[in-house]
Amino acid sequence: MTVTRRTKTASNRLQGRDGLHALLFLSPTLVIFTTFVIFPVFFSFYLSFHQWNMFSSQTSFVGLANYSRMLRDPEFWTVVKNTLVYTLGTVPLNMAISLLVAFMLNQKVFGKKFLRTAFFAPVIISPVAAAVIWRWMYDPNFGLVNYMLSFAGIRGPNWLNESHSAMFALILMAVWKTMGTNMVLFSAGLQGIPDTYYEAAEIDGAGAWTKFWRITVPLLSPTTFFIMVMSLISSFQAFDVVYVLTSGGPLGSTKVLVFYLYEHAFKFFEMGYASAIAYFLFITLIILTLLQIKFMKSRV
Amino acid sequence: MKKLVLCALLLGLLLQTSCGKKEEAAGDGRTVVTFWHSFVSSTVPALNELIAKFEKENPAIQIRAQYIPTGDALIQKLITSVQSKTAPDISWVHSDYLQDLVEADAIYKMDDFIAGPDGLSEAEMADIYPALIQYASWRGTLYSMPMEATNLALLYNRDLFRKAGLDPDRPPQDWRELHEYAKKLTVDADGDGIFEQVGFSLPVFPATGPLGGWMVWQWLPFLWQAGGELINEEQTSVLYNSEAGVAALRLWQEIYRDLKLSSYTTDYDVAFASQRQAMALDGPWNLPRYATLLKHFDWGFAPLPQGPAKKATIIGGEYLTIFKQSKHPAEAWKFIKWIIQPENQAFWAIKSSYLPINHSVLQVPEFQSYLAAHPAFKVFVDELEYSLASRPIDFHGLEITRHVAEALEKATVGDQDPAAALNESAQKSNALLQSAAK
Amino acid sequence: MPPMKPTARTILHINKRTLFYLFIYGAALATLAPFIWMVLTSLKDLNEIFVYPPRWLPKTFHFENYARAFQAAPFGRYYLNSLVVAVAVTIGQLITCSMAAFAFARLRFRGRDALFLLFLGTMMIPGQVTMIPTFMVLHWIGWIDSYKALIVPGLASAFGTFLLRQFFMTIPRELEEAAYIDGCSKWRALWHIILPLSRPALATLAIFTFMGVFNDFMWALIVLSSEEMRTVQLGLAIFRDRYLTEWDLMMAGSVTATLPILVVFFFAQKYFIKGITLSGLKE
Repeated sequence: MTVTRRTKTASNRLQGRDGLHALLFLSPTLVIFTTFVIFPVFFSFYLSFHQWNMFSSQTSFVGLANYSRMLRDPEFWTVVKNTLVYTLGTVPLNMAISLLVAFMLNQKVFGKKFLRTAFFAPVIISPVAAAVIWRWMYDPNFGLVNYMLSFAGIRGPNWLNESHSAMFALILMAVWKTMGTNMVLFSAGLQGIPDTYYEAAEIDGAGAWTKFWRITVPLLSPTTFFIMVMSLISSFQAFDVVYVLTSGGPLGSTKVLVFYLYEHAFKFFEMGYASAIAYFLFITLIILTLLQIKFMKSRV
Repeated sequence: MKKLVLCALLLGLLLQTSCGKKEEAAGDGRTVVTFWHSFVSSTVPALNELIAKFEKENPAIQIRAQYIPTGDALIQKLITSVQSKTAPDISWVHSDYLQDLVEADAIYKMDDFIAGPDGLSEAEMADIYPALIQYASWRGTLYSMPMEATNLALLYNRDLFRKAGLDPDRPPQDWRELHEYAKKLTVDADGDGIFEQVGFSLPVFPATGPLGGWMVWQWLPFLWQAGGELINEEQTSVLYNSEAGVAALRLWQEIYRDLKLSSYTTDYDVAFASQRQAMALDGPWNLPRYATLLKHFDWGFAPLPQGPAKKATIIGGEYLTIFKQSKHPAEAWKFIKWIIQPENQAFWAIKSSYLPINHSVLQVPEFQSYLAAHPAFKVFVDELEYSLASRPIDFHGLEITRHVAEALEKATVGDQDPAAALNESAQKSNALLQSAAK
Repeated sequence: MPPMKPTARTILHINKRTLFYLFIYGAALATLAPFIWMVLTSLKDLNEIFVYPPRWLPKTFHFENYARAFQAAPFGRYYLNSLVVAVAVTIGQLITCSMAAFAFARLRFRGRDALFLLFLGTMMIPGQVTMIPTFMVLHWIGWIDSYKALIVPGLASAFGTFLLRQFFMTIPRELEEAAYIDGCSKWRALWHIILPLSRPALATLAIFTFMGVFNDFMWALIVLSSEEMRTVQLGLAIFRDRYLTEWDLMMAGSVTATLPILVVFFFAQKYFIKGITLSGLKE
């Protein structure tokens, strides 16, 4: 399964008819996309070469000034580093846990419906309410986390107020909040693997571990690919969780790329500069996605 | 699948019928004035009463109050509404936004109305606390009108004072006492290094967050008490890294360190309510809540302790602007003018616990009897006499506030040298001011 | 299976099973803990919320918190708005995304891969910078402050198209090719072969879309102004400002916004986890 797979079949001669069909099938999406997505995307590209405070009806051309300012701002590079740490912290952890849970729930389990709902519940809670709850959980004086740790004789830190623990606390909450999404996707993927494959493997005397690596992992790869691409995109664009839980603090230690962008757009009203940051992010993500596609192609 | 399509069609129909354009007029011939505000749910009933009173006295006008969440949400709403020419008639704004609103030619000068036929006399203008007028202006021109005032005082638990052997009728008078009392009221009974009770807390928040400006706002009184200023009169360089600024920040740093506030909650109000905290900086907006929340112990408010140079507290409040896109600027002005009348200010202050904006409210009999019955509220009203507003910054005010916030965070959370932190920030601010001057 | 004497192997097996249950229920409980706290807090007196050590159960149950939260704003109307918008976007997206995904997964046409990459690319520009231009487009059309402003821009989704395309590609082509030989059109192939087999994927997309729209705050905030158009998430904002959070009311409001969806998920999950799964085909 790859994005660019082309199978040459006898129906190749139907190319012309397919083209017409494709147009029909794509038309609703294309109409809405060109109106509400493509224009804004190109407009923000245009803005990245301009200065605009959003209140005024005029923009002024500044050439590449926004981009060079970005590359020269030391804070920008700190923010890029924070984003990488956040991504490396959330994506693998999130994927591992959600696959594990989906895998466990794919067996005969008592109370499966309840369990699945429990793991999905965090996705449903609105980010603001979730942050309010987690701020309490992490509270150094009243919070649940340090209370639990105290049973183990550990004195927990003031999670959100110390540079080294705040990023960890943020990652933990982010994984909690988004894990349910991936679990549902993995579950749907696992359902697609026929039991007969496993049964056949059992007859051959394969253990659970072999079955997992030889059957589950390869057959799940379309799902895994999808989750991987989407997780990377969303973790590079992390904003909600950061905004509501740590606001980039303490001392800027959890300030990530989109938070930095948001600040410049809606705190300092520099939409041109914010757009330049957006296009840096765009190029990074395009490269990462193409690399993933290439990687998948060579493997499958 | 057919069912799906059918559902979609039905929904489409429903939408067609339910999104009729909203009527400009009230339907009964009254002029509708839209008013954006951000009062939380506990203040909304008071606001509704105020509006009802206005509408009764002005039967030709209907005020349509719309709640917009404050801060970032409000600014996004303002940007998009100005761009799409759907701005409200009146909105409350923070003075930080005035520069951009004025530069986009989005709002009226208040002088346009004050000097007009239905204007305000000089005596009426002089009646408003000058600090509020200063705060509502940008580059010397008044662009907004205060709707109510707020300031800061010291909230303290009288029971805990007694327990610590302190006189509850003699709250801390100066910085030294504040620091001393804070330490005395901090208790570690079992000696495990964790305080069960904390004497005082500071509003330290991430500089980058929505509360960064809020932290600076509460630090400014300390700067003034030490004799400092944020920026010079010519607006060419910042002054917050002066000796006064260093002294004010050093006080914060020492309290933060001594009370181990780095491992303390920022929800001071709930900590205070559960008697784990003895003193806090607080404003009048919490008074209605405290009447029930704190009923199980003896508490009070005191004026902020005096600094090495003088007594000072900060004044703030919400400011009303009239948008140029408004079709009814005269009616909008009528509402604003009505609100700042002393008798209406008295009504609003009593209902909402916000502070009045003019001196002569003190002569209104209902207000006087209310003050007599509410000593905590009276502390704030008395403080109005020496409340200061920060000098509005003409350009890059938002960035400069951010720089101050960064210094505060570095000296407290980061435990860096206050002078070094302030100087580093001041350098950034001054570079911005120089680029703006060009 | 005939009854057996417990052997060492079965005992080990039972222990493994017990461990398995301990682990999975422990993890579920930990995941659910913040949610449980939210429900219990919504029933507490304000004074009880911040105590140490944390106390889970309220001393007395303050059900009036819910009444107070509902009095603070017309939440009934907000609910209706959120529901109408979320349902409309969900249905619309299922239709447009499955059509587009079919084109990308099954049809051959010039520029397909480039177009698909462009689709993916639109997800990589953060919404914070496209929000204002999108708003301007809606303003030019004249849809501000209407359901349309909330619904129509959401009717197409790169995420949904990508998701369904990935699922469609796992369906063996042979099934349709047999149908094409019988003279079946592309439309019928999509409606009668592909979509019925993709129910889990469609249901997955449905719940994600629904959740996304239901929990959206920023977009709803900027396109809506009038009181009667507001959504639940906008309503909840009234319990929090820069000075204070009205904990009890906010929690009560959040529970009412969350619980119904959780219940729906509980009962509807069989559609997307079981459904008619792809497994039947691969044998």
